[in-house]
Amino acid sequence: MLIIPAIDLKDGHCVRLKQGNMNASTVFSEDPGAMAKHWLDQGCERLHLVDLNGAFAGKPVNEMAIKSIVDAIGGEIPIQLGGGIRDLDTIERYLDNGIDYVILGTAAVKNPGFLHEACYAFPGQVIVGLDAKEGKVAVDGWSKLTGHDVIDLAKKYEDYGVSSIVYTDIGRDGMMTGVNIEATVALAQALLIPVIASGGVTNLEDVRKLCEVESEGIIGTITGRAIYEGSLDFAAAQALANELSSNAR
Amino acid sequence: MKKIDIAVVDYGMGNLKSVSKAIEHVAPNKSVLVTSNPDEIDAADHVVFPGQGAMPECMYELDARGLHEAVINAAENKPFLGICIGLQMLFDHSEEGDIKGLGLFQGHVKKFALEHKVDAMGQKFKVPHMGWNQVYQSEQPHPMWNEISTGERFYFVHSYYVSPVDNNCIVGFGEYPERFTCAVARDNIIAVQFHPEKSAQAGLQLLSNFVNWKP
Repeated sequence: MLIIPAIDLKDGHCVRLKQGNMNASTVFSEDPGAMAKHWLDQGCERLHLVDLNGAFAGKPVNEMAIKSIVDAIGGEIPIQLGGGIRDLDTIERYLDNGIDYVILGTAAVKNPGFLHEACYAFPGQVIVGLDAKEGKVAVDGWSKLTGHDVIDLAKKYEDYGVSSIVYTDIGRDGMMTGVNIEATVALAQALLIPVIASGGVTNLEDVRKLCEVESEGIIGTITGRAIYEGSLDFAAAQALANELSSNAR
Repeated sequence: MKKIDIAVVDYGMGNLKSVSKAIEHVAPNKSVLVTSNPDEIDAADHVVFPGQGAMPECMYELDARGLHEAVINAAENKPFLGICIGLQMLFDHSEEGDIKGLGLFQGHVKKFALEHKVDAMGQKFKVPHMGWNQVYQSEQPHPMWNEISTGERFYFVHSYYVSPVDNNCIVGFGEYPERFTCAVARDNIIAVQFHPEKSAQAGLQLLSNFVNWKP
């Protein structure tokens, strides 16, 4: 299982939010490129980037910061990026410039036709991020809660050719209260494509619990606050995951 | 014993809900049973042998649960599908732990050695091979590929690959970056390296082809 560090970008800096609240942000670094290099040096095998300003604006905002990350670690490990990606040109630009996977969130929900086109144009490189509060999907930087059920939407997308689903539990994100295992497993079991967990990973126990259910198709977990604040030692987490992994064969 | 159409072998190393659900999906009128009981495996019409964990532990657990014979028996007598490590275990030997396999296919299981290799975009080839990749079918047609085009993508997560002695058993290959065998078949056995239960429609079609297969 991949332990995937997250770098969330707000105004060019690496931050962590609580439950997606832009007003509850803590800056962890003013040098995103150095942050990315740090995780690479710790042994990370994939990086998760979020353009937070972009998610709210509906278009890329932190392109300079993203470029500095690609310059720092591009080619070494795959990078997945989400936040404000709403058209094919933006996807193409990112994929041409060192990003390996784009993550569509709002665009997938509001414009499924676009998602379908994107999957066709860029096979294997489009991930959908479904962020949910109590099973219902939220969009626009999590500012709006829709009535859509996570599993129903995800099942629709797997027919389009989506590479995987990143499932974030909004209530747990940045709160360090543990991963929502039941909901993540329920989603993974219902789907015919892989799932990446996100939200609430706090310590090695959470990593262990996720590895126990890895064979349901949970290929990785994104972690943010825990590795920045130190409750989770990244290198130890990846080492544990490798030891327990049922899939890295 | 109640009729068992499809048995999914459980040797206690992980959850198998994804595999069994996908099979139930393509065989709604058949009974699908996840089991570690050799008698139930013997009684089933079709047997699925999924991958769970590292090969040395798998071989150990198979023996510890008395499943070694039941699996070999199933592979020799009824439609049998091996998935991921379930493919690797069918071979003679694996570099992983220097362990002996079930010997149903001649050949070895080797680790990807991809240091210093980069793709056209300058990206390193990582191990495990993880992600969607194209599967090319061999010239000789096989019912497992019905309604599936060559070059269709399937989902892979593996660090080891099989290297069969007999080329005739190779029915599918991938590239990472060099060609590697990802599907073998002979008699009533089909085995694939990728995860059909996580390969969307293409995977579902393959599972459907398997449950309807009468070799």
